[in-house]
Amino acid sequence: MKRAIRIGAGEALVLTANRLLDGLIVWRDANGSWQRSIAHAAILSPEEYESALDAATKSAQNDGVVGVYEVVVRPGAIAAPVSVRERIRAFGPTVHPQFATELNA
Amino acid sequence: MKQFDLAPARHPAPASLEIIPVAEMTETTRAIRLTPEFDVETLGTALDHLDLIIVSFPIFRDGRGFTQARALREYYGFAGEIRAEGHLIPDQAQFLRTCGVDCVLLEDDADTTPWLKALSLFPVTYQTRLGLR
Amino acid sequence: MNAPVGLYQYQTADREFLASRIAEFEGQVQRRLSGDLTEDEFKPLRLMNGLYLQLHAYMLRVAIPYGVLDSRQMRKLAHIARRYDRDYGHFTTRQNIQFNWIKLEETPEILRQLADVDMHAIQTSGNCIRNVTCDQFAGAAADELMDPRVHAEILRQWSTLHPEFTFLPRKFKIAISGSPHDRVAARFHDIGILARPGENGPLFRIFVGGGLGRTPLVGHELFDSVPEADLLMTLEAALRVYNAYGRRDNIYKARIKILVQALGIDGYRKAVEHELSLMNPEHYRLDPETVAAIKARFAAPDLTASPDAESRLKADRQNDIAFDRWVRSNTHPHFAPGRIAVTVSIKPAGGIPGDATSDQLDRLADLADQFSFGELRITHLQNVVLAHVAQDRLLKLWQALNAIGLGDANHELIGDIVACPGLDYCALANARSIPIAQKLSARFGDNALQEEIGKLRINISGCINACGHHHVGHIGLLGVDKRGEEFFQITLGGRDDALSRTGDILGAALPEDDMVDAIARIVDRYLSVREKGEQFLDTLTRLGDAPFKEAAYETV
Repeated sequence: MKRAIRIGAGEALVLTANRLLDGLIVWRDANGSWQRSIAHAAILSPEEYESALDAATKSAQNDGVVGVYEVVVRPGAIAAPVSVRERIRAFGPTVHPQFATELNA
Repeated sequence: MKQFDLAPARHPAPASLEIIPVAEMTETTRAIRLTPEFDVETLGTALDHLDLIIVSFPIFRDGRGFTQARALREYYGFAGEIRAEGHLIPDQAQFLRTCGVDCVLLEDDADTTPWLKALSLFPVTYQTRLGLR
Repeated sequence: MNAPVGLYQYQTADREFLASRIAEFEGQVQRRLSGDLTEDEFKPLRLMNGLYLQLHAYMLRVAIPYGVLDSRQMRKLAHIARRYDRDYGHFTTRQNIQFNWIKLEETPEILRQLADVDMHAIQTSGNCIRNVTCDQFAGAAADELMDPRVHAEILRQWSTLHPEFTFLPRKFKIAISGSPHDRVAARFHDIGILARPGENGPLFRIFVGGGLGRTPLVGHELFDSVPEADLLMTLEAALRVYNAYGRRDNIYKARIKILVQALGIDGYRKAVEHELSLMNPEHYRLDPETVAAIKARFAAPDLTASPDAESRLKADRQNDIAFDRWVRSNTHPHFAPGRIAVTVSIKPAGGIPGDATSDQLDRLADLADQFSFGELRITHLQNVVLAHVAQDRLLKLWQALNAIGLGDANHELIGDIVACPGLDYCALANARSIPIAQKLSARFGDNALQEEIGKLRINISGCINACGHHHVGHIGLLGVDKRGEEFFQITLGGRDDALSRTGDILGAALPEDDMVDAIARIVDRYLSVREKGEQFLDTLTRLGDAPFKEAAYETV
């Protein structure tokens, strides 16, 4: 399924999902493994992401993740999602700083 | 496809009946397949000639078949076989049976273990305890 | 029986049922992990056991039927928050509690723990009949005509794993009240029921097709006086018409309100009457013996109070201005002399509306044991009620509440904000609701100022699904997304009482960081133009929204 996504200049994509067993948010790294921190996410160009998304969706059951989709980010030392929603997913709820996601994990 | 019995059929339909979509039934039709939006009240006296009615579930979340089956049994006293087919999951077994469905049609390789298990999970329901039906 | 509290006491059959339900869910989890169930198939099954997959983790919504629970149940909720979550729980507008950081793999164990104290998470989500809500002062309020809890329990039992209505077009919410002052927003439910005593037993006035969300509609009266014997039969007929004819092609048009709107209330009523004409009343009759048997499982507390309880409360109030203020805002008259019903505000200044820590939950359980027969209720404004407090001990209770940070005098005042979890937790939200609620409640934190402002409800929803009930807030805020940024739309004049109506949109949405100031300007304008004795809604009715619009957009 191809979705319309708007990617601005200098922006790229990463893949995300939730782990089936504990529901926690994960990001797909360059080896196809799912990591807790967005810092490890593989940065994908608009040309690459579709095949990566297909592969990740196909192996979701084996990898123990659900709801694989792509997120637009600004690449940097740590990729920063463009939307408020995805920033909250990546870094934790704004109302509980003590639950912030550990980015070095 | 194989048939899984939820309960002993009240009047099991002969195996060889030709199943006709409800929109195309004639006076000689003995087995029909309903669509979910079909109003079973409109069957009227045609019910007397039917041996088998199939309620279909395009997706398991579409619960209209439960209401159709129950209406057939309770309002119109249909005593023939009611069969459910389409996308169904074992977790619906007891609901189907309670609403008057006799059997479900499953893929040949479907595992019937969870279906059997589901039928014995809740020996007493709250509705019976309240004295309903 | 446990403590003499106002909820149905389980018996063996109820416990066996819960054990079966947990075994069933455990099997479903196994089948999901093995791949026998797809996520699409598993999702409705886990939802019907209260388990969502939210933004950060699974969220478990535990049912508190008709909002009543006892102290050992409250302690169990504290234990679950501590052991399986992050040390807090969140009370919801449907009188339930939810935990935000739950693991799927631990859920069967949590459900077993809940079952140990006769609790569950059944039908707190999914396209089925949801947990029934009820007047928080049931069986206590001086203004009550009839205690609705026994019938709320009957509705709970009737709707639990209903064979025909577990795969409805959409969710289905029922509320029941026995007071002429509708405290359950009956006209904003799929079905709202107002119970009253009649000459030959209870009578039920039934509203249908109300709701908030994308299409806010006030419910219509379906029947004025349904006798008890016909209550379940009538509800079955109402649901049957909905199950057969409710839309399934578009989830935003699948609620019963859309069907009732399409058929017109008369057309819908005709369809229900047709069903009723086909039904065999013998199959559906609710017998007085059945009602009596369920009623017998509700214990009645001994409500006698010391004869000088009222005079001692009077003296206590004269000695302490802050206590006196709290009594004015956070208590409700009890029918029993010397008793009073207390609303414990879970809305401290700057806090997250409805959030309580494990320690607070434990302490609330202790206070329930000490002051209210071990019984607590959760309200649809996300607060906690201790319904039967002796008036001469009220001061002691207030002091104990202050010690755990829950002594605020702001019930139904501007600090008593209702907010959905918003974008901080919710997978559907467009904007964050909680930070605005925190900023507003901090800004108007002073209890004396809140009393001066008077009755003023703020409701905040993070998206059009309206879980924060912004349509019925005197001031409602709706979060919208503008190119990835958070904006809020203001509505004024909503209410969910006997004069139910939805609020009117004031104008263009404002950016998140302007919001608190804009609301403050509206409140200031109200204080400067109101006449003596007026509440916010009175002033709004008298002047219309022009002065408030001008104030809200002053600097824009």
